[in-house]
Amino acid sequence: MPPSWLDESRAAALEIYEREEVPTWRRSGFWTTSLRGLDLDALEPRRYEAVAEPPEIVGPQEDLAALIVQRGGSTVYAWVGDERITVMPLEQAAEEHSELVQRWFAKRLPAGEGKFEAANAAFWTGGAFIHVPRGVVVDKPIQVIYEIEDPGTAQYARTLGIVEENAEARIREYCVAPDFEGQALHAGAFELYLEQGANVKLAHFQDWGSGEVHDISVKRVEIARDALCTWVPIHLGGKLTKQTLDIITAEQGADMRHYGLYFTENDEHLDLFTTDLKEAGPTSGDTIWKGALTGASRASYEGLIQINKGAQDTHTYLQTHSMLLSPKAKGDSIPSLIVETDNVSASHGGTVGELDEELVFYMQTRGLTRAEAMRILVEGYFEPVVQKIEDDQLEEIVRGRIAEKLTAASDEVAQYIEAR
Amino acid sequence: MSLEIQNLHVQTDEGVEILHGVDLKINKGEIHALMGPNGSGKSTLANTIMGNPTYEITEGKIIVNGDDISEADPDERARAGVFMAFQYPASIPGVSVANFLRMAVNAGREEPIKVLEFGKVLRENMDLLRIKPEFTKRYLNDGFSGGEKKRAEILQMAMLRPEFAVLDETDSGLDVDALRVVSDGVNALQGEEMGTLIITHYTRILNYVEPQFVHVMLDGRIVREGGPELGRELEDLGYDPIREEVEANAS
Repeated sequence: MPPSWLDESRAAALEIYEREEVPTWRRSGFWTTSLRGLDLDALEPRRYEAVAEPPEIVGPQEDLAALIVQRGGSTVYAWVGDERITVMPLEQAAEEHSELVQRWFAKRLPAGEGKFEAANAAFWTGGAFIHVPRGVVVDKPIQVIYEIEDPGTAQYARTLGIVEENAEARIREYCVAPDFEGQALHAGAFELYLEQGANVKLAHFQDWGSGEVHDISVKRVEIARDALCTWVPIHLGGKLTKQTLDIITAEQGADMRHYGLYFTENDEHLDLFTTDLKEAGPTSGDTIWKGALTGASRASYEGLIQINKGAQDTHTYLQTHSMLLSPKAKGDSIPSLIVETDNVSASHGGTVGELDEELVFYMQTRGLTRAEAMRILVEGYFEPVVQKIEDDQLEEIVRGRIAEKLTAASDEVAQYIEAR
Repeated sequence: MSLEIQNLHVQTDEGVEILHGVDLKINKGEIHALMGPNGSGKSTLANTIMGNPTYEITEGKIIVNGDDISEADPDERARAGVFMAFQYPASIPGVSVANFLRMAVNAGREEPIKVLEFGKVLRENMDLLRIKPEFTKRYLNDGFSGGEKKRAEILQMAMLRPEFAVLDETDSGLDVDALRVVSDGVNALQGEEMGTLIITHYTRILNYVEPQFVHVMLDGRIVREGGPELGRELEDLGYDPIREEVEANAS
C-alpha cells in the first residue's frame, strides 16, 4: 500500500493539473514552444511485463553498480550489484522507505510549478530511487533507463536521488526510444540532493529517435555545503523538447560544473532553460553549453546565473555556443544574469555562429575534403564537452551519434558552405 | 616536374585586382625566394596557389606537373602535391596535433598509415624540428605561441612531404633560435624531391636557407629577378631603389 502522504500528494497535484491550461512557452516575443501539435488525449501510460534480461543499451551489467529500467509506465528490470546502496523503483521505495522518501520528495520540485510538473506528480509510476549512504564511495555507475517502446505512450518518469555526507557516486539517466511513427510524451521529473561533502558525477543522455516524442521535463540538483556536482546533459534527439535544468548551490563551499551539449536535426525543436542558482556564498560554478543544428531544426538555449542576496563571494561563469549548419536552422544562445548581492564575480557569454570558412580552407590545404573538414571541426567543437563525461563507453556512444548525424546532414551542410 | 604560374591575374571577392599578371616557374629541387614589401601581393599569390576561395583568378593559370589546377578545390591541390605553410595558421580546438597529422597523412593515401609507422615518422620529424613529445597532444595551434605555430606548420610539411611548398612569411615573428630550427627543417626536407617558394619581406631567413632564385614583387607584379646576389642587394639597400627604378621606367 502506498503511504497516505503520497496519496495526498497525488491528489493535490491532480487538482493543479486539472486547473492548469496546457502552457505555451514564449520568450522575447519571437521564440515559442507550443504543444499544439500534440494530441494529449490520445496518449496513455502503457504497461509492460518485467523482463528477465536488461536491454543492452550501455555495456554489460557487471560494469554497473545498479540498474533500473522503466518501459512506458512499468519498471521492467531492477538490479543492484552494490549492497551498500539502495536503488529501487520509487514506488517501492515510497512503501519500504516511506519516511526517507517523504523527507526529500518534491523538496525542490513542487507540483505547483505548472501543468506538466503537476501531471508528473499526480500520475508518476515506477520511477527510480537512489540512496547512497554517508561516506559510501560507489565507483561504478548507477544507471536509470526510461524507454518509450511504442507510440501512443505517456510516460511520467520520476527519479529521486540522495547522496549523503561525503558519499561519492556516478549517476546516469538515459531517455531513449526506438525510431517509431507516431506521438508520445515523456513528462519527467528528476531531483537529486547532495549532502555535505558529497561528490556526484551526473550525466543525462536523451535520444528519443525519429518518432514524435515530446519531452517536457524538469531536472533539479541541490548541492549542500562543500559538495560538488559535475553534470553533463546530452541531447541527441527528440521531436520537441522543453526542459528546465537547475543547479542550486545552497550552502557555502558548494561547487558545480555544468557541461551540456545538443545536436538537433530535421524538424526537431529544442527549448532549454538552465539556472545556476546561488543561494549562499562562497560558492562557485562553471557552465558550458554547446550545440549544433542541421535541417530545419530549432534550438534555443537560455542560461541564467542567479545570485541571491546573502550569496557573497560567489564566482561563477557561463558560456554558451550554438553552431548553425543549415540555412533553415534557427538557434538562440542567451546568457543572462541576476545578481542581488555584492562582492561576486560572474561572467557570461553567448555566441551563435556558422562553420568558420577560414578553418575549412586551412584543413582542405592539408588534403582533407570539405565534408571531412566539416566533420572534424564539429567533432572538435564538441570534444571538450564530450570529454567531461569521463566515461569511455558513453563518450564513444556520443561521438558515434554525432558522427551519424553529421553524415546524415553532410550533403546539406556542404551545399550550405559552398553557397556562402 | 614543376609548379608554374602563367600570367596570373587575381582579384579579391570584393572585385579589387591584386595581382596583375604574374609569371613564375619552380622546378623540383629548386629554392625560390619571393620578396617584397607588405601589401605587394605576396600572400595573395600564396593563397591563390592553394585555392583560397577569397581570391578569384580572372586570367592566367596555375600548372602543377603539367596539370592545370586553377579551378581545383584546395584539397585536390594538396593531393596534387602542393603545400602552403600559413603566415597565420588557424587554430582548431578539440583536434590534437597528432590526430590532425594522422588525418592529413591519410587523406593523401589509399590505405591508412599503420599506427607504428606513423608514430615512427612523427618522432623522427619532431626530433628534426626539436619539438617536445607533449606538443602533439595539444589542440592544433590552440594557444600556441607564434614560434610554436610556425613549427607546427613545418611539422605538417615534413609529414606530408609535398612536391612543392610555399612558405608564406614563415620567418616573420620568429626569434633567431626558432628561425634556425625552421630553416634547418626546410633544408633537411629540401632536396631533389621538393621545390620551395619562400615568401618573405625580410632577408634574414636567406642567411639560413640559400635560394637559387630571387624574385621581387611590387604592387602585384614581379619587377626584378636574379640569383642570391639580388637578396644581398635588398639586404643592403632595401626596396626603395627598385621602386624608384620601376616608377622611372613607368613614366
